[in-house]
Amino acid sequence: MTGGDRMVGSHEDVREQPPGPGDVDLGRVWLRIAADVWRREPGWLERLAGRLLRSPGLARALLTTPSLLLPWLIASVVVFGAGAGAAAGTGQPLVALLAPVVAGAGIAYAYGPGTDPAWELSCSMAVSDRMVLLVRALAVFALNAALGLAASAATGAAVAVTFSWLVPMTAVCALALAAATVAGSANVGVAAGLAAWLITVLSGEVVAGRFTVVVTESSLVLPYLGFAAVCGAIAWYATRIPRGTA
Amino acid sequence: MNDNIVITDLARRFGRFKAVAGVDLEVGAGVFGLLGPNGAGKTSLLRMMATVIRPSSGRLRLLGRDPGSYGPRKEIRRRLGYLPQNFGHYPSFTVAEFVEYFALLKEMPPQRIPAAVASAIERVGLGDRARKKLRTLSGGMLRRAGIAQAIVNDPELVLLDEPTAGLDPEQRVAFRALLRELGQRATVVVSTHLVEDVGAACTEVALMDGGKIVFRGTPGELTAGAEGAGAAGDAPLERGYSAVLAQARATAAAAARS
Repeated sequence: MTGGDRMVGSHEDVREQPPGPGDVDLGRVWLRIAADVWRREPGWLERLAGRLLRSPGLARALLTTPSLLLPWLIASVVVFGAGAGAAAGTGQPLVALLAPVVAGAGIAYAYGPGTDPAWELSCSMAVSDRMVLLVRALAVFALNAALGLAASAATGAAVAVTFSWLVPMTAVCALALAAATVAGSANVGVAAGLAAWLITVLSGEVVAGRFTVVVTESSLVLPYLGFAAVCGAIAWYATRIPRGTA
Repeated sequence: MNDNIVITDLARRFGRFKAVAGVDLEVGAGVFGLLGPNGAGKTSLLRMMATVIRPSSGRLRLLGRDPGSYGPRKEIRRRLGYLPQNFGHYPSFTVAEFVEYFALLKEMPPQRIPAAVASAIERVGLGDRARKKLRTLSGGMLRRAGIAQAIVNDPELVLLDEPTAGLDPEQRVAFRALLRELGQRATVVVSTHLVEDVGAACTEVALMDGGKIVFRGTPGELTAGAEGAGAAGDAPLERGYSAVLAQARATAAAAARS
């Protein structure tokens, strides 16, 4: 009999009949064998991630991120695009400040309702979909940073985007995930990550002696206000009292 | 109270469209069928019960908890099995990997997972395909893999949206047996437009139309609704469905005129 023509098939029939004296419950025996045969042994990286993140589910999500090919490609293209803009040295710190937001939106789209086929299912899981998104962001940046380092060894063209964008953002994502894990809240993690990136970018401006320009340049007031309004809207949305609940 | 689902005046809007328009429902253990034509609001109601979307208004309690708060929602999700209507999968995963992945996301204790995965895969009859990639499976087998992930955590609340779509008649018969087995321990809500599934497996049924529940009772009571109505349908339950639906629409139209 093949699996195609049965459901709750012979195994269940066997399992439902209690074994007589001396009989062997073949259903239970088979289940134990199947569990052993089909068991997937997590690698050392997954075990380590599981311990650090305090969640085997998040560790599995982290390790499976690159295997979801289409979302991976879309996320990587957005990350490299945002990185190219941030590393271009436009003299506008706003570009560098907004680059993680663009990259984050791209990753959220790629691993969200945009292209993740199991997104609806993931939304009903006990592991928070926002935490899953954070580990996805870390996986995207970390693997692309590794690729960037390899490319930098081969050609100087990849050095700027690797060292001014991919490597720092990998560290920022790791920090965000650590903060989220300790606080038990993805929102706290995102806030920590954004704060770390803000400090990194503004520190660079201070070192370059351009910090006062960042603060006093009148053409930047409108974008700053817009950015503040968006942050305010996100904060309001995240903390609103949901309707339709007891 | 042992009702695992308690819904009071629940509504859900998408823009101006009211998909669910004030539903009241209490459901305990057993298999509960949610019937209705396309666009009746079944999927939106099920998605709210699955904590995937939030209600626009009204109250919802699942397994005695409030899904609007983070902690209780997490507890509900640990005890939930959900099969969406548009069931997506990862083609590069094997059946066992796919079921295991969602067992991990349901925060099952890792030591229990291998046995639970094996049991779930066997229960849906995919034992000989457990190590096959999902991309190699037929539509019916994919649906069964979806059912396996829904039941892997031995859920107290099972929500299945069109679970028999893509299953052949023999598989549907076997699936109904699985439903009855699940219903002995859990609250199982099955949304479908196939009345024969309801007749064979459900102890209770609700009929939705226009975002509202227009009938609630046993399959026998739904069948009785056809008596003297001359409704269309090949089977008694189908005729009951048609008659009750027509009557509900006539009542709604009369109410709208007055």
